[in-house]
Amino acid sequence: MDPMDERKQRFERVVMPHLDAAYNLARWMTRNDHDAQDVVQEAVLRAYRFFDGLRGGAKPWLLAIVRNSCLSWLLVNRPADLAGFDDRVIETPAPEEDGPETQAMRAFDRRMLNEAIAALPAQFREVLVLRELEDMSYKEIARVADVPIGTVMSRLSRARRLLGESLRALSNAAGERVNR
Amino acid sequence: MTHDEAGRLLHAYVDGELDPAKALELEAHLAENPFARAACERLRGMSAAIRDQADYHAAPAALARRLRASAPPESEAGRGRLGLPRWLRSAAAFAGVAALAWIAATLVMRPGENERIATEVLASHVRATLAGRPYDIASSDQHTVKPWLSARLTFSPPVADLSAQGFELTGGRLDYVGGRRVAVLAYKRRQHLIDVFVWPGEAGQADLKLTREGFNIERFAKDNMDFWLVSDLNRNELADLARLLSERSAL
Repeated sequence: MDPMDERKQRFERVVMPHLDAAYNLARWMTRNDHDAQDVVQEAVLRAYRFFDGLRGGAKPWLLAIVRNSCLSWLLVNRPADLAGFDDRVIETPAPEEDGPETQAMRAFDRRMLNEAIAALPAQFREVLVLRELEDMSYKEIARVADVPIGTVMSRLSRARRLLGESLRALSNAAGERVNR
Repeated sequence: MTHDEAGRLLHAYVDGELDPAKALELEAHLAENPFARAACERLRGMSAAIRDQADYHAAPAALARRLRASAPPESEAGRGRLGLPRWLRSAAAFAGVAALAWIAATLVMRPGENERIATEVLASHVRATLAGRPYDIASSDQHTVKPWLSARLTFSPPVADLSAQGFELTGGRLDYVGGRRVAVLAYKRRQHLIDVFVWPGEAGQADLKLTREGFNIERFAKDNMDFWLVSDLNRNELADLARLLSERSAL
């Protein structure tokens, strides 16, 4: 078989199965369909160009490229989203405080959850999406986000804490509206 | 194990990322500590809720189609001198242009001006469709439409026959947009009407894609001509038409 055709078929077989993951990440990062499609299209073309450099799992490799395209897009179109993004200080997650969010957590609905995730700062949103929606390991996430595993851990716990706080605030607000 | 350490390891434990020895240690801590157990349950609950209820955005079929369809049949024609498949070179060039357009559109353009023109071309398109009079001259022959328009304008718009690509030319009309007389080419794809507005423009204008009131609007500039496409046709097929027009006008 012609080497060019073979390369294309290998790309189709190895990389294209992760197109949904690529789009899901881009969709959560850009927060709209049209730009997510543009970002993924550009990223897939770049992936094809650099295909020969692929080592290890194709999914984290592709998502790392998608993530870079997302960052470039955010830099131009939503620079405010990237405030504090490269803050690589490893924070120690505070021990969980027991509190009213235990009850509040039951009261949120789907729409509220999606809004709360979309509202997370970009660096926390991406690790949460990769972990919970793509079911990736810390090691894979570290590869996608190009940070040490310790940073993945601290960002993930921070993401969950922020999400819990914002869900509590949202469902409290909803509760007040109902009670009024 | 201290509370602090337990708190720090809890996420890794819930995520199944803790090594077995540490996991056993943490489980012992949880067994005698209802406070930490509750925190653990809360984390599991949140994780499950996200997995069950957060939107998973699968790639739209159109995106997958577009990526795959850009590959030509496996043949000699698919390869250029550089050894890169032609679809990739043109697609990469397109991606480059799109990236530049993003930057240009954000930094350089006059949003007010473009917004005003978008409103005007959309109004013209809707008016013509509503009135059931999408053209002043009905013809599928580019050699009829082009001279008719040229005779009534101070410029000669490029008119392409794209019927082989599924865009049927149905006619042309004149309109007044942005304070100037412009050519409007009416194309049809399936049941969708597409208006292509053409007038001489300034060089260096960025490409633009908009959606207004359910209509897709796309703009590009080529050879000192401004092209604005308006239709209820989907964005991808409208982009196909824009690409074809851009290629043809170069001939």
